[in-house]
Amino acid sequence: MKPAGPEGRKKNTMHAPHLTPDEIVLWAEGLLPAARALHLSDCPDCLATAERERVFFLQLARLEQLAPSPGFAERVMGQVKIPTPSGGFKMTE
Amino acid sequence: MRSSPPGAGDGVIAPRERPSNLTGASDQDVVTRAKQGDEAAYRELLRRYERPVFALLYRMVRDRALAEDLAQDTFVKILNGLRSYRPEFKFSSWVFKIANNAAIDHLRRRAVDTISLHGSPDAVTPERIAATTLDLPDRRETPLEEVEARELGSAIERAIGRLRPEYRSCILLRHVEGHSYDEISQMLDLPLGTVKTYIHRARNELRDYLEDRRNETRRAGGA
Repeated sequence: MKPAGPEGRKKNTMHAPHLTPDEIVLWAEGLLPAARALHLSDCPDCLATAERERVFFLQLARLEQLAPSPGFAERVMGQVKIPTPSGGFKMTE
Repeated sequence: MRSSPPGAGDGVIAPRERPSNLTGASDQDVVTRAKQGDEAAYRELLRRYERPVFALLYRMVRDRALAEDLAQDTFVKILNGLRSYRPEFKFSSWVFKIANNAAIDHLRRRAVDTISLHGSPDAVTPERIAATTLDLPDRRETPLEEVEARELGSAIERAIGRLRPEYRSCILLRHVEGHSYDEISQMLDLPLGTVKTYIHRARNELRDYLEDRRNETRRAGGA
């Protein structure tokens, strides 16, 4: 992501200041206050940066769900000691 | 089947004790039931966390069999150590803390054991480099390695694999598992500011790597 903010981009004098990198992250996570998010409707530069960040976060959130091999739970449960009312332990069946 | 109040001790599994009836219960409630000796509660905790814990470990160590071993050790430690869990913390934070420690401990041990394939770092002459270089036979991927290459082979997975382990933990816990910065700080025993810095740096490294890959692909396509 190119750094947001004034550096490298024309100063946005007519409207609210450009979003900072932290604000871009907040927007991509859906946490930026609406008043600041309004800036995106006026600023194509910030919008493009924010959109890139949103897609990047989406890629991370959509990584494949990885699962252990079948039988994993039984292998674990075979080593678990379950407390009994008498104060002892029992192993799973 | 006859209905029976839980704990009636007549050998009939009461409806409340069946795993399906624990599905909507909070982690804390399930832990309480497990501490009372309810096997279904143990299985429910395992069901809830086996995938995310395994996924974290697999992405940390990038070896399926090893990740399963570490996940198994992690769950045995968690389920046999429920008495040491302090309910003022989120259960998920405790679980991921133990899992992450297992991964980091393994990676640290492996770093100590690692031998350079390209000669000792102290070797300065070609003869000394040759003498300390390991020759490994060229070999095909095993079926397991093929599975791993498929599962962790996307550009973003490869990029994650190149991150420092500390950055990798932080980015996975934040963006894949969805934990807050505060939770990650607790899980990893790191100051909040350090967690934010690690995540910021990890994102930058991932973006740079993915951008480089895109540029390479474009160049290759244009050549």
